[in-house]
Amino acid sequence: MEVRNCDENEYSIEVEDVYKHYRIYKDKGSQLKEKLLFWSRNKYTENNVLKGISLKVKKGEAVGFVGHNGCGKSTLLKLLSRISYPDKGIITTRGRISGLIELGAGFHPDMTGRENIYTNASIYGLCKKEIDRRLDRIIEFSGLGEFIDAPVRTYSSGMYMRLGFSVAINVDADILLIDEILAVGDGEFQAKCLNALKEIKSRGTTIVIVSHSLNQIEEICERSYWIQNGEICMEGEPREVHKAYLEATVH
Amino acid sequence: MQKTDSRNEALSVRKTGQKESFLQTVREIYSYRQMIVAFVRRELRGRYKGSFLGFLWTFLNPLLQLCVYSIVFSTILKSGIEKYYLFLFVALIPWIFFSSSVLGGAASIIAQKDMVKKIYFPREVLPISTVTTNFVNMLLCFIVVFAVVILSGIKLNFLALLCLIPVWIVEYILALGMAFLTSAVTVYFRDMEHILGIVMMAWQYLTPVLYSYDIIPPQYRLIFDLNPMTPIISAYRDILYESKVPDLKSLISATVMGLVVLVIGWITFSKLKRRFAEEL
Repeated sequence: MEVRNCDENEYSIEVEDVYKHYRIYKDKGSQLKEKLLFWSRNKYTENNVLKGISLKVKKGEAVGFVGHNGCGKSTLLKLLSRISYPDKGIITTRGRISGLIELGAGFHPDMTGRENIYTNASIYGLCKKEIDRRLDRIIEFSGLGEFIDAPVRTYSSGMYMRLGFSVAINVDADILLIDEILAVGDGEFQAKCLNALKEIKSRGTTIVIVSHSLNQIEEICERSYWIQNGEICMEGEPREVHKAYLEATVH
Repeated sequence: MQKTDSRNEALSVRKTGQKESFLQTVREIYSYRQMIVAFVRRELRGRYKGSFLGFLWTFLNPLLQLCVYSIVFSTILKSGIEKYYLFLFVALIPWIFFSSSVLGGAASIIAQKDMVKKIYFPREVLPISTVTTNFVNMLLCFIVVFAVVILSGIKLNFLALLCLIPVWIVEYILALGMAFLTSAVTVYFRDMEHILGIVMMAWQYLTPVLYSYDIIPPQYRLIFDLNPMTPIISAYRDILYESKVPDLKSLISATVMGLVVLVIGWITFSKLKRRFAEEL
């Protein structure tokens, strides 16, 4: 892969010894009555989801996280996007982060596709000027044509996803986080997404994918992390990691 | 690749696991200003969408309220205050802004919980949007207020009218501080929404909205003076009903109290926001 005038030592993402636990309430009462009457029930067990994860992702690199449900890969993605915070350890990210996690966030059904582009893109932190500049590109990529001026409630779910994806991918983030998003839509749309991701990657965007679809990771990523019980179990070339992962799963 | 967007370098390098500074947060909220604009617009336009009269309701609503009050208080409950409908109206519109900001603010994060759980954005945007929406709504209502004031024959004092701007700002600060506080606490403690309903009702009666400050017995005045809404409501009434420049001393005390509430709200919010996504 061509390395574009960026410092070899520059990492987009650095994760240093990160720990994260969640509280699992046995019987959670968030009402006053329950808190007062059953305060003993508010005891929770701690579920250690991440136990000392360290990793570095270079600028322009694409990596995948694989592992069983509950292994902590989605939690790691949430920490990277700052939706939640680590208990211990430091995560350093460089550049604008965007996530293909919830497509079409903030869409208002009564507003047109065009108006919703502004709302949706603003949630990714773009200002009006930045959205103006991307508007044509977003509309073109979505392939919605004249439907762009129709209210979103008239859209089919496929059109809805296409518009959401089109906005998310045109944010021009430096780091793109993807959680199982490629599992939606028809084959044609998936192929389009995959091509778009490859194109974005060739422009130097760092990509992190969490997926059960090992093929997709192999197609895009240079490196894969196999996460098990909150720890990195194996790291390396996707095909090799996935082979080991699948073998371990079968036995 | 050349980035065409001018991005603050300090903003783009982020370290989680360390505390973010006040300035960083403010700068980040500023970079999300379009989100606030979009949310305010969506809320204002969405509110009456689908209704026959649409946006006209923004003006009709206060006007109809005024009709009810003037009928009740001029025929049944005679208050003895001259032009009581006006006396009440100029205080009620600002009170509704405050009250709906606190109540709406409390629900603002829970209402967007799917977004909070899945997307990163500065969480402060949500209460700010709610308060700003209500604020813009109040400013629109003021068109009706001005019309009613002029029609009722009150001669407005230009200097006094200028004082409206600082009064608006002080009330916005206070409402925002309360919204930060209530929105964050409600995430952890859902009863807050219901408790607030009754608290805001009591607060309204502990503020001279329906009556004048002068009728408060002297021994209780201290409670009213500690209520930041008292000087704010009195200032509105001074400007629009008495058409005189409001008392500077009480305005300053309202400003100080508003800022104190904002600081408390901000600090509480900053502490609690880190676990929003997990608690929702």
